[in-house]
Amino acid sequence: MDNTYFDIDAIFAENQKLACTFLTDVPGLGYLDGGKERDIKKGTKMQLPYWLALPLLYAEHLEFTLPQPFGSRVRNALNADARSVRLASLVGVGNYWYAHGRNVVDILDETQGKPMADVLKDTFKGRLMDLMDQAQHFAGAGTGIGVAHSGTGDAGQEFREGLDQTERELFALAQESARRTKAWFESSDRTTS
Amino acid sequence: MSLPSSLRASMSPQELEFVAGEEIVEIVPSIRMAPIRLISGVYGPFRPPAKAKVPLWLASNLKLKKKCHIVPPDWLSVEALQERLADETSAEGFSPLPFRWLEISKVVLDIASDDVTNPDRIRSLLKDIREARQSKIREGLRSMGTKAVELEMPNVGSMEINEVRPFFVKAMNVIGILSAPPRDITENQAANGTDFN
Repeated sequence: MDNTYFDIDAIFAENQKLACTFLTDVPGLGYLDGGKERDIKKGTKMQLPYWLALPLLYAEHLEFTLPQPFGSRVRNALNADARSVRLASLVGVGNYWYAHGRNVVDILDETQGKPMADVLKDTFKGRLMDLMDQAQHFAGAGTGIGVAHSGTGDAGQEFREGLDQTERELFALAQESARRTKAWFESSDRTTS
Repeated sequence: MSLPSSLRASMSPQELEFVAGEEIVEIVPSIRMAPIRLISGVYGPFRPPAKAKVPLWLASNLKLKKKCHIVPPDWLSVEALQERLADETSAEGFSPLPFRWLEISKVVLDIASDDVTNPDRIRSLLKDIREARQSKIREGLRSMGTKAVELEMPNVGSMEINEVRPFFVKAMNVIGILSAPPRDITENQAANGTDFN
């Protein structure tokens, strides 16, 4: 977790918006909401990026509501079958569902944060197997992993399209290493020297 | 950082094959030659038909020049591999094959298939063993997903580890981050993000 200052994904993930409500009047910052008013009144609701909401939250200028991608509807769907939820369409640009979720856990209090952290973790673990099967299948590795075929077809396609950014990176890693290993198996040493 | 991420995460299969070149194999030379002194050791003397022990790279080099026959290692025979396959499919753990079994068997079968008895049968046995082991590695991933935080897989070969390393390492990293207690953001806000790499 150290040296994350330069991590581009972490920066992108902090750009996700939070629904916030101002608890105090803020003069002169009306442009944050599109510039109609000069000042922000107490009680104004606004979508703020995480990085901006963070210091304001701790200065107790605003409060936030739990983002809908982590709300009870999504949680129920995840409990039913983590693999059938399209994480990609839950959060906005960049698909940082896990990273954004993790950021939100950090600003929730213990009673709310713990269950949400568990949701994130269980979802990731629940999807991991299918992720690896799909990646190896798409390396053209029709060899081992006989179960890989179970995930193809429409359900597999749905699953792949719904991958979160973190999962996409994992997919690419697994696919690439399976592809390289397969290429090595199919090469011959006879011609190399 | 200039390397593609796949090469940063693990070695390439070709590099592993190169490393496996240091494994000692037996050859039957077909030429007479005095011992050769190299940094890694003294190899020879070569007096046909006596056997000599040399590294795999030297054996393959000589073999390609038709100056020796490679004696396949004990485990690289139909009987031994059938036994391994039986272990592999009946027992839970990984059967004790040499650490670099995939690399050695590939090199030997590629360049010296005429020195191996029944190479096609051996190839298909190796493939079966590899597939049985791959599905065990997959089971390991499942256990990582459900209960265990640590993963123990003794006797897994270097090539097999290498194939899953980038995925496993990153997946474990993410699990670690997601299971960590919430950060105290008040202390070092903004200087910290969520890094999944």
